[in-house]
Amino acid sequence: MSKVYNWQIGRQMEYPYEGVRPRRQFGLVMDLNKCIACQTCTVACKTTWTPGRGQEYMFWNNVESKPYGYYPLGWDVNILEKLGVQEVSGPVYSGKTLFEAAPDGEPVLGYLPDDLDYAHPNIGEDDSVGDMTRGAYLQAPHLQWMYYLPRICNHCTYPACLGSCPRQSIYKRPEDGIVLIDQRRCRGYRECVKGCPYKKSFFNPMTRVSEKCIGCYPAVESGRQTQCTITCIGKIRLQGFVSAPDEAREDNPIDYVVHVAKIARPLYPQFGLEPNVYYIPPVHVPPSFLAQMFGAGVEQAIATYRAASQDRKLIGALLLFGATPQIIHHYRVEGSFTIGYDDSGAELVRVPFKEPIFMRVAFDEKYQTRRSNMT
Amino acid sequence: MRLFSRTVARVSLALGTALVVPAAFGADTVLHASRVASTIPLIDPAAPVWSKAREVAVVLQPQSVVVPMNPEPAVTQIRVRAVHNGKLLAVRINWKDATRSETVLSDTFGDQVAVEFPIRADPADLPSPMMGNAGAPVNILQWRAALQHDLDYGDPSVRTLYSNAEVDVYPDQLLPAAVARPYQGAMAVDNPVSRPMRTPVLDQVAEGWGTLTTKAQSRAEGRGVWHNGVWSVVITLPLASTSQDAPNLRPGQKTSVAFAVWEGGHREVGSRKSWSDWTAIELAK
Repeated sequence: MSKVYNWQIGRQMEYPYEGVRPRRQFGLVMDLNKCIACQTCTVACKTTWTPGRGQEYMFWNNVESKPYGYYPLGWDVNILEKLGVQEVSGPVYSGKTLFEAAPDGEPVLGYLPDDLDYAHPNIGEDDSVGDMTRGAYLQAPHLQWMYYLPRICNHCTYPACLGSCPRQSIYKRPEDGIVLIDQRRCRGYRECVKGCPYKKSFFNPMTRVSEKCIGCYPAVESGRQTQCTITCIGKIRLQGFVSAPDEAREDNPIDYVVHVAKIARPLYPQFGLEPNVYYIPPVHVPPSFLAQMFGAGVEQAIATYRAASQDRKLIGALLLFGATPQIIHHYRVEGSFTIGYDDSGAELVRVPFKEPIFMRVAFDEKYQTRRSNMT
Repeated sequence: MRLFSRTVARVSLALGTALVVPAAFGADTVLHASRVASTIPLIDPAAPVWSKAREVAVVLQPQSVVVPMNPEPAVTQIRVRAVHNGKLLAVRINWKDATRSETVLSDTFGDQVAVEFPIRADPADLPSPMMGNAGAPVNILQWRAALQHDLDYGDPSVRTLYSNAEVDVYPDQLLPAAVARPYQGAMAVDNPVSRPMRTPVLDQVAEGWGTLTTKAQSRAEGRGVWHNGVWSVVITLPLASTSQDAPNLRPGQKTSVAFAVWEGGHREVGSRKSWSDWTAIELAK
């Protein structure tokens, strides 16, 4: 085991390999306040990457309901229970990470899901299971609450899948931090399936080796955002590159959201993997629940998000979500526009802070027909 | 032996315990491969030739040196016989296994057995029995119950794995084969553990933990049969070799052989196995 620095838990921790950060790190931000679980991302990913034999129940991207939805069944509550109660309140995590909690002879604390755990994604997740009490009224956080959690591989800085593979068949690319399973060298031991706490390594029983989200690397290599991002109809996602906090650039919209405004948080940072998908927490959910899922800083994130209208740079970054299929490396707020640029500084997209209103007369003279104006 | 001793010493030191190394070179544990006529079939574990071959019991120990470990393996002893016909060496391994594991789903594992030979047979300087070491390669021939099942009953389909599966369409039903190939995952890149095999034995080379590599051309054959709670598996390889990746054996030669077993029902796979030290093997003239 080596000592590596994990900024998400504010301290050094143990990891099977030396800590070497990639030159650039794949990053993704998702605004959970905007996700409606339409599953367009899931379908986009599925049709692009996993329509083959043996991948029938394999979803590199999935959307589940929280707190009582899972894919695979019980993935997070299972590993949380194995890890046991830990203190997550302060900026420095004093509990054990999954690497530090590894049993003797194991690289990481993990478990192998049952085959059937993958069999019923989303079934019954949104069924109502109770009534509101008489006299209940709308308040925040809500008395009765749920939200949707879209998930892909977190392309972690310290991946447990990579640390678990006894053959070093999993590698993290130095050029973009995307974590891949070498399909030529994998022998299907399922150590990565067991080791990944997010359960984003999958076993394919037809090829008898494991597969995982590839971060749409062919797209990313050509400056394009992932399929799950560009197809999102709710525009909840922004994919690009995220810096370590000491190298954060204010003109990188992901860095601004994650490191400057600090409104987006990693998923279960206490596991110790330094995941690189960041979530803007849902504002209507009790903070005590969110603290377990997104670590310390959730309440501040929500407060800043609620006050976003006072920070034009933050609004500018948020307006770039879903605004272009290309990866935005830099952005600038200029007058009433936020402008996204590619790596070379060329303009990719220009989004107005306020959408213009177009009025038209109800009767179309050319086609001799009436039309309703919709907002 | 020197390198191996160093490995064991280092490992023992790291673990703070002494490894139990069976007396592999004692007279009783030499595996004699008697010579039989080249016309006699060897590959069937129930063939009459095997009843005449002398049996040696080989002790297996838990893999508790490198993570992930298998501190309590299911199989701790195997019974081994060997014969050769001047061209092929055949080794038969029998072990008790109450559960026959040959279907591989995400949470099920197949039974396996491996035979290991040092590629350069210098009895004074053997590779580590634990998959060799840098500069001291080994040839590992691994029989897999799942591959045997494929050969006996046909390659698995989604329907044979999941009898109620209903799928509307796959890419290869719509697209030309070359365009649909990327959707086959590891099979599209000819991963040797994925592609359909003509033999249930993977012919592999290793120079230490994590380096196991399947050769492009397999020279190994084999057959395994499970009967009444006992696996009986024959693995064969050609004696003569000009390759850097295989031992060059000849009648009358003494060399060493080691073994490993994986009990699929016990979720043993990869380094979660039981393994043996080197056992002396003598090929009759």
